[in-house]
Amino acid sequence: MTRPVYILGGYQTDFARNWTKEGKHISAMIREAVVGGLQATGVEPAEIEVGHVGNFAAELYAMQGHLGAFLVDVDPAFAGLPTGRHEAACASGSIALLAASAEIEAGRYDCALVVGVEQMKTVSPAQGGDFLGTAAWYEREAKGVEFPFPKLFGRLGDEYDRRYRLDDKHLARISAINYDNARRNPKAQTRTWYMNEAHARSCDSFNATIGGRIKVTDCSQVTDGGVAVILASEAFAKKWAARRATQLGAIPRLLGWGHRTAPLLFDDKVAESAGQPYVLPHTRQAIVDAYRRAGLADCWALDGIETHDCFTTSEYMAIDHFGLTAPGQSWKAVEEGVIALDGKLPINPSGGLIGCGHPVGATGVRQLLDAYLQTTGQAGAYQVDGAKKFATLNIGGSGTTSCVFVVGV
Amino acid sequence: MARQIRKVVVLGANGAMGAGSGEVFAAAGIETTFLARTRDKAIEGQKRAEKLAKSSAISRFIRTGSYEEDLARAVGEADLVFEAVSEDLALKRVYFEQVDKLRKPDSIVATVSSGLSIATMAAVGGASFARHFLGIHFFNPPNVIVGCELIPHAGTDPLVVADVTELLNERLGRELVRTSDTPAFCGNRVGFKVLNECAQLAEEHGAGYIDALVGPHTGRAMAPLATIDFVGWDVHQAIVDNVYAHTRDEAHAAFALPALMKAKIAAGCLGDKTPDKGGFFTKADKAKGAPKPEPPEVARKMKELHRVGRYQQAFDVFAEASGRDAELMRRVILGYVSYGLNRVGEVVEKVADVDRIMGFGFNWAPPGVLVDVIGARRTVKLLEAAKLPVPRPVVDAAERNQRLFDAAYVDVGRFFHG
Repeated sequence: MTRPVYILGGYQTDFARNWTKEGKHISAMIREAVVGGLQATGVEPAEIEVGHVGNFAAELYAMQGHLGAFLVDVDPAFAGLPTGRHEAACASGSIALLAASAEIEAGRYDCALVVGVEQMKTVSPAQGGDFLGTAAWYEREAKGVEFPFPKLFGRLGDEYDRRYRLDDKHLARISAINYDNARRNPKAQTRTWYMNEAHARSCDSFNATIGGRIKVTDCSQVTDGGVAVILASEAFAKKWAARRATQLGAIPRLLGWGHRTAPLLFDDKVAESAGQPYVLPHTRQAIVDAYRRAGLADCWALDGIETHDCFTTSEYMAIDHFGLTAPGQSWKAVEEGVIALDGKLPINPSGGLIGCGHPVGATGVRQLLDAYLQTTGQAGAYQVDGAKKFATLNIGGSGTTSCVFVVGV
Repeated sequence: MARQIRKVVVLGANGAMGAGSGEVFAAAGIETTFLARTRDKAIEGQKRAEKLAKSSAISRFIRTGSYEEDLARAVGEADLVFEAVSEDLALKRVYFEQVDKLRKPDSIVATVSSGLSIATMAAVGGASFARHFLGIHFFNPPNVIVGCELIPHAGTDPLVVADVTELLNERLGRELVRTSDTPAFCGNRVGFKVLNECAQLAEEHGAGYIDALVGPHTGRAMAPLATIDFVGWDVHQAIVDNVYAHTRDEAHAAFALPALMKAKIAAGCLGDKTPDKGGFFTKADKAKGAPKPEPPEVARKMKELHRVGRYQQAFDVFAEASGRDAELMRRVILGYVSYGLNRVGEVVEKVADVDRIMGFGFNWAPPGVLVDVIGARRTVKLLEAAKLPVPRPVVDAAERNQRLFDAAYVDVGRFFHG
């Protein structure tokens, strides 16, 4: 990082809500996230100099584009605010964060508002599944396919199985851990849902197969949600720290980032990585880039990870790609309790996408907010004791766009 | 040391509340025996619990049986006996007498009753039975609605209260409110006051108009009269008649069942459960695409503002609009705020208690949330203008310029529908 970028905090809406049932337009979600973020940080609306919105497909789900412009509507002080919207499928939120942080690093602005937002409960599950297919190569991988993404991530599991062997009981354990953690998170979508490892291992009408080896309990669910965070330069953070009677050193920073893109087609990804230790080498590279930029030797310098578990197989992949185990041996970290909330390197204390929820364009921002809450000791019942450094991994498509942040104090 | 609650037996486990409550215990990994008149009926309850949990794995913690064959063993082994048979004191008495004879000396006995006096039920058994007896009022369906009332009677052992509190809060994930043993406890007392007042107003103004006027934009998922249809007119009558007969408070008249409802109940009209006869609305009224009355202007404006997340401005409209519609809306909603917060000190201890049970039991905007969004000072003025009692907590909040609702993790926007 050429110049430090500080995270001042933010706000997450309750991911259990159904905004369509509430009769709400997507602008209400943006407004609640932004107003909540301003209140949580004590930043004045007039201090915000630029706004970035991450969103995947409001044009499809809500018949609404041009989401950046809705920021201006939130407060009279936002009149004329420069804004924009960013899209990279499920990594849209992280792309918005990258853009905002780059502007702060470049010295253009001192205080940036980043919002991730997705309203998905507007349509039937089948229709939504088809919309999500546009995050793959739609014509080749999704058109006419019912629920294409579970099938693509089922194939990620199959590829692990082919190269290294994969026992589905480890996927069930990953799911159960995420749900368990979500029960501690008052904003998590599944916090009251019935779940345990026995249910995750069951396979009947209540836990049906969606695609390949992926069952209902292996999936993140359709979620509505918005999240806002506020990023700042050192000059602004100093001023803000004095106002909040805190020290600059106590405010988490983006210590490093990684951002890589793999071929869009899943077959091409697999063909490209044939014979290599990592199934998704570009995802691995994004993680290595972030470690290098943050000056971390390896994952053991971290206190926790918020990763992209759109399916249990993506978390299984993340475990070895982050370096918790040798390639193909993620199961060891699952079995040994390394990734549990009280483990050596907890993954998804928030519940992750499976437990907390996955409003697609909001997820990257939600992960960063959780990293902020963890590294400032504000994560409540899902706090990792004494956390100083957290990493996030946000993935768009079938392992296509990978964005990683290392956050720390 | 707190007693371990490892085994629960549910009596009446085939009914909605029995099966739903049984699901909550079993979901926490507690061995739960579902009892009913026959084993087949108990198995129906078990299937119901599986459907609520969306899992057959929950049945690892469920046993089933009939009263005749299994009551003695199951009650004898249970750490908690949970009664969920029909809301009929004579019937409950029969079961309590048997439980009194069969239970372990230190086991807890709870009723899910939503209206009957806890002290009266506790007196059915001996001294130990009474000391270990209390009410646990779940709301239907309990796996989804986490609001829950705990109702000890004067003679309940404080250690029993402490152990059940721990169980409900920590293991069952409830938003727990402790209430006094008064008619309908807190949630139903406050909620059915509003519902019955709306039923009374419907006689004069029509059901469609009332539901459009005080519908979801005033802070609830379902409009009041549609709620009465959903709950069932017989259940509604049982609750309001009980409160009317056994309380004398500032809103006593609001609990008088409207004559029209009384007549229609006598004719077998019970709401949604008698679809041929209907309730306030018929099946055709509720069908998708059925014509709905045009909402009054003040309601339309509020809905439009809620739709885009401008809740504060929607309540500016609520507070400032003039005319008959606005006055009637304020009378009902401010009446709810006034009546709800006036129960603090009588039925519950704190503002947070009534807020929690209305928010997490009824899914209504809690009174404290409404005071905050209207503004405490403005609420005082509006209450005075509507000639409604001004509760002490509202006066205090206005004087100190403080907010009333204290649960920072709750998105209050979720209560307001566009």
